[in-house]
Amino acid sequence: MHKLWLVIKREYLTRVRTRGFIVSTIIVPVLTVGVLVLQIVTASRQVGHTLRIVVLDEAGGLGSAVVKGLSAKLPSGEQEFQVVQTLENPPADAEDSLRAQVLRGEIDAFLVLPASVANGKASAEFHTRNPGQVIISSELNHSVSDAVIAQRLHARGVDVKDVAQVVKGVDLKVIKVGTRGDSEEKGQTIALAVVVGMLLYVTLIIYGVATMRAVMEEKTTRVIEILVASARPFYLLAGKILGVAAVGLTQYAIWVTAGALVTAYGATVASMLHAGALPSLHLSWPMLACTMIFFLMGYLLYASLYAAVGAMVSNDQEAQQAQMPITLLIVAAVVLFNVILRDPNSPLSTGLSMIPFFAPILMLLRIALQTPPLWQIALCLGILGLTTAGIVFLAARVYRVGILMYGKRPSLAELVKWVKYT
Amino acid sequence: MGKSAAVVVTSITKRFDEVLAVNNLSLRINEGSVFGLLGPNGAGKTTTLRMILRIMVPDEGAIEMLGQPLTESTQDRIGYLPEERGLYTRMKVREVLLFLAGLKGLGEHEAGRRIDEWLERLELTSWTSNKVIDLSKGMQQKVQFIAAVVHRPPVLILDEPFTGLDPVNAGIIKDIMLDLRKNGSTIILSTHRMEQVEMMCDSICLINRGQSVLDGELSAIKRSYGKNTVRLEYEGDPGFLDQPNLVAAINHFGAVTEVRLRPNGDSQEILKAAVARGVRINRFELVEPPLNDIFIEKVSGAAHA
Repeated sequence: MHKLWLVIKREYLTRVRTRGFIVSTIIVPVLTVGVLVLQIVTASRQVGHTLRIVVLDEAGGLGSAVVKGLSAKLPSGEQEFQVVQTLENPPADAEDSLRAQVLRGEIDAFLVLPASVANGKASAEFHTRNPGQVIISSELNHSVSDAVIAQRLHARGVDVKDVAQVVKGVDLKVIKVGTRGDSEEKGQTIALAVVVGMLLYVTLIIYGVATMRAVMEEKTTRVIEILVASARPFYLLAGKILGVAAVGLTQYAIWVTAGALVTAYGATVASMLHAGALPSLHLSWPMLACTMIFFLMGYLLYASLYAAVGAMVSNDQEAQQAQMPITLLIVAAVVLFNVILRDPNSPLSTGLSMIPFFAPILMLLRIALQTPPLWQIALCLGILGLTTAGIVFLAARVYRVGILMYGKRPSLAELVKWVKYT
Repeated sequence: MGKSAAVVVTSITKRFDEVLAVNNLSLRINEGSVFGLLGPNGAGKTTTLRMILRIMVPDEGAIEMLGQPLTESTQDRIGYLPEERGLYTRMKVREVLLFLAGLKGLGEHEAGRRIDEWLERLELTSWTSNKVIDLSKGMQQKVQFIAAVVHRPPVLILDEPFTGLDPVNAGIIKDIMLDLRKNGSTIILSTHRMEQVEMMCDSICLINRGQSVLDGELSAIKRSYGKNTVRLEYEGDPGFLDQPNLVAAINHFGAVTEVRLRPNGDSQEILKAAVARGVRINRFELVEPPLNDIFIEKVSGAAHA
């Protein structure tokens, strides 16, 4: 057991001291915070300038109503639209001359309201060189619609103000019912579930591949020959997997601490930048415990598979090919996110979350969305635990033979033989 | 020489699928001796060593080390310098050695002390905190040698220990090997360099296709061949050696020529032929055949059988 400890220690210390570890540990939170700050800053100081437009009112009488509705303001506080001119019943060549003006940059755009727009037989047209800003802003669309609707109602003798009262919409608040009280749902449950699921996905791949590379390193540098002459192959394999896991947990501990600090000070920073409150995702303790359990089980499962791949290949290209099926299994779990998000407790969701290769990610997602019956979690953990034990056993056998085999990658039939070797 | 055995291998067999890598091989390696394990490429030497090292388990047969069957703890009592050298290239020299010594059960403090001694003895002290990758190949080899001996193993397995070393360093390693032997270590040497075997080994085993084709004390083996070889230095026409019913084989080394006689060939006939042709003889010596010739004869003989 002492040798196992030595292998873990070496793996951990040499990894933690690498430049790659230090850089990724610092860069990831810095980037995350950077993106967050950038979002706050851009939200408060959005770029954009006032559009100078001309309205061509071929219908007559619509133009002024539309212009009245164009009260949208840019984040900087300026008007989004500045109506330079409104032409009622314009001459036939008006559009051509306005096109020329747009091209020369004298105005930014012109809005055409055809005569038949009132009875719905034609569309309003907005001619501009830069359509981006308008697509983002629905303001223009609303004010044109409102003006046309108002005109139609007016033609039928209905008072527009009454109608506005009658058709006023209702806000819908979504309240999440939970055992520990109800809370208003603004998407944070789904956001949290997806964040946790993605985190698990990224971690499984990154640290799984790191384990594979660690195994390959010892094989290609031939250190393995001395190692297996000194310690049990199972200790070497377990040492690799646990050492890399310890590195991963260290990194997460640093990030979580940094994250806590950012959340604590973030509100202050945000208010200093005159922005709204930060979107806050609260991770409860039971949820954190579930995340840890599923991460560790999933990591053991996948790291063993990746380690077996590392042991059976002799170079990077072979490794790239041989690891694909494993990586695809993890990616598949992410692709299945939608099924779970749509209905976490449907028979399909339940079934998928029981498949051990998807369980670490999908069951966690289900727990985050809507806690499934306890027996399902227990059954899932049972299946996952048994599968993981089986995979670790098989991986150890493949590892033991593979690390001493150089040359071409084994076929599936050869792998079966490896497992059977005494 | 100690009479008790350091390693006893009894009828071991190892199969890889259809290939019989080692076939019913038995070895007895005396304590305190230098034992040469010889054989052509692919003869099963590495597989045999790996089984003694407990990296692999024989399909049949048994191996004992120092009177005990192999266990995890016997692994701590063997030192191993594999033919394919390898160290963690991005670790510092001293750290690698500390780790490998730890895996052999050596405490960190004691390991550190001994590693520093060895680094000094092999003139690597100034490289202690360099990464392995910064070292020359010869220096890496010396570091690997330290890893093999630092835990003072009673049994030391060295696979081609001199390749890649210059004559000075090869000499240092050779002296250390002889020192270790004097202090009671048993050394198993696997190499293709027959002159090293002749100089260092007490006993040998020559294996071919997984089977022993020749084993015993080196001196006894050579004696059994008798002085059937003439070592010559001459000036003049080599035609006097052209006597097929007298000469079995001729080896030209430039200055020296070695002539192996047929079983009943008389060396004096060669001398007579030389004198008759006016060839000037500067050296004429009857010797035991070099191990190299025995090796070739045994291995190619087996191939024809």
